[in-house]
Amino acid sequence: MADQAPGVRIDGLTVVYKTPAGELPAVRGISLTLEPGTITGIVGESGSGKSTLALSLLNAVQPPGRIAAGSVEIDGLGDVVGFAGEQLRKARGAHIGYVFQAAQNSLNPLKTVGKQLLDLGRSHGVADLRGLVREARELLGRMGLDGARVLDSHQHELSGGMRQRVGIMLALVLNAHLVVLDEPTTALDMITQANILKIVREVHAERGLTTLVITHDIGVVAEVADRLAVMYGGRLVEQGPTREVLGSPRHPYTRGLIRAIPRLVGDIDEARALPGRPPTLVTVPKEGCVFRERCELRMDVCDTVDPSVVADGSRIVACHAVTVKEHAS
Amino acid sequence: MINGTGITKTFKQRGNVLGRREVPALRGVDFEIGKGGSASFIGESGCGKTTLGRIIAGLETYDSGEIEIDGTPMSPLKLKHRQPHFRKIQMIHQDPYSALNPTRTIYQTLQAPLALRAGQTGRSKGWIDERAAEVLSLVGLDPGTVLSRYPHQLSGGMRQRVVIARALTVDPEMLVADEAVSMIDVSLRLGILALLKDLRERLGVSVLFITHDVATARYIGGDGELYVIYRGQVVERGPVDTIIANPVHPYTQSLLSAIPVLHGLELPGEEPVVPLESLTENQSESGCLFAARCPFRGDGCTDERPLLRVTEGVPQEHACYYPQRRSVIARPMSEV
Repeated sequence: MADQAPGVRIDGLTVVYKTPAGELPAVRGISLTLEPGTITGIVGESGSGKSTLALSLLNAVQPPGRIAAGSVEIDGLGDVVGFAGEQLRKARGAHIGYVFQAAQNSLNPLKTVGKQLLDLGRSHGVADLRGLVREARELLGRMGLDGARVLDSHQHELSGGMRQRVGIMLALVLNAHLVVLDEPTTALDMITQANILKIVREVHAERGLTTLVITHDIGVVAEVADRLAVMYGGRLVEQGPTREVLGSPRHPYTRGLIRAIPRLVGDIDEARALPGRPPTLVTVPKEGCVFRERCELRMDVCDTVDPSVVADGSRIVACHAVTVKEHAS
Repeated sequence: MINGTGITKTFKQRGNVLGRREVPALRGVDFEIGKGGSASFIGESGCGKTTLGRIIAGLETYDSGEIEIDGTPMSPLKLKHRQPHFRKIQMIHQDPYSALNPTRTIYQTLQAPLALRAGQTGRSKGWIDERAAEVLSLVGLDPGTVLSRYPHQLSGGMRQRVVIARALTVDPEMLVADEAVSMIDVSLRLGILALLKDLRERLGVSVLFITHDVATARYIGGDGELYVIYRGQVVERGPVDTIIANPVHPYTQSLLSAIPVLHGLELPGEEPVVPLESLTENQSESGCLFAARCPFRGDGCTDERPLLRVTEGVPQEHACYYPQRRSVIARPMSEV
């Protein structure tokens, strides 16, 4: 088991779902590197493919979906796309922790948290179950909970914020160093959200993790992530260091998203809605730029040619208009 | 158009052998929403904001206090006679996916309340069709393409527009929007907010906005009243812009401090307030309800409960013995 933060290299990943209209890509040709020890945030709306991408990290895309192309190389593990059966099951949990949405009931309502913890330990062949419980209690205590009480509780006795922390504990207790958090704060209110984000940051630093946060809320990413990647229609349209992307967004979608957030100060009427609506698996364009229907910078070339991913230092953008403008200047 | 005084509501939970547990949801709340005005209730989950919204929409009873709609007190009236008054107030729920009947087309959904009214007022079928198309246009949907569709054929944003259109079929004077955009895609949220704002401006419909996000309340109307609710008590009340600029209650300050900072565009506030502990079920009932979590609690805070009032030097009403302005919200980098 690797005791340090692993790096992850996703290369040319394509995930397709079988539909009556044939196999349609939910994620198409995505390349993304998670540097060891960083927090990366993926922002996208429903149907952007962000959850499918996250599941690919565990090679857990369920039928009718399948990984059609590409690789997910994790340090100390190898390419998980080729994993199957027992090898895959062991990798999950021990190397990769996954925290599911708090709102969705990912805990078993019939068992106490402690019993579920023991199940987890047994299924991963942990010899020292007492040690596991001790570790869990410490982690929960670290997150501001009474560990013994929480382990004795059923999920209905815990609030949303507490369940979320239990989820984080279960993802980390087997000493995973790569952690994926799927919508960690959806359905939590503001104060609880701020609290959870602080915990994510602190635990990340203390345990030396590589963390991936999936969310629809740019504010969440702004608070925790070092790097930000924006997904739209199954494509990564922009990525870069969080502060740089928020400070000077390049892709028209990123710009539109930021402009669509009402803020507490400044002229509130500067907030503008993005026209149109996000594409679904069926309506996403087969060729050309996936965002063109809603884009204010649309050109003829956008209809036919997929914009290539252009790197400029640490910033990466896939947009014809941005590329043209930069060549001109 | 609607005001309430001293509204209380207590929920009784089925308890164990030792008896029932009583949970006070509202502890004597006063409110007032004028014709064409806007108001927002903010607070954590469980603070009572949704209960108050449901009482205002006539979907929930209250234990004591009085609600007047256009000057008519509601409690002396029988349920049957209250209904026409509460019909002026329509609720828009959080989840547009469960608010529409999946087996009905949009036309059928809109036709039902319209047919009822047509029957009452002796109007024709032609009026129903005309009005159905009209309300859809009001919410920015094309009647030609939408009327024959089923809810599953529409996006979340479009469904929420249909829900609003359905509320408009009865010519309401007020809309109660309970977290109306929280389940909608981020790029579409502002469109729904803009629609509510537009309905307020064009049709003179009052809007009551229930949310935990103050910034959206500001978008609907900075001049509207903001009610900060904590454990069933209004702890700060005043115009949205005044409170955002000068929050004095530590609870309001914690809510505002918790809003994510867009690093790169904004700098965090200078004096963020973080509650000492999280909200639990069995918190003290004596003195100030927020005292246990308040980083600034002082003498007397746990003895007697401060009531909502005006004090010198503070433009808005508040319920704190030690009101002090703190700069908690993020500032745009362009202004620094």
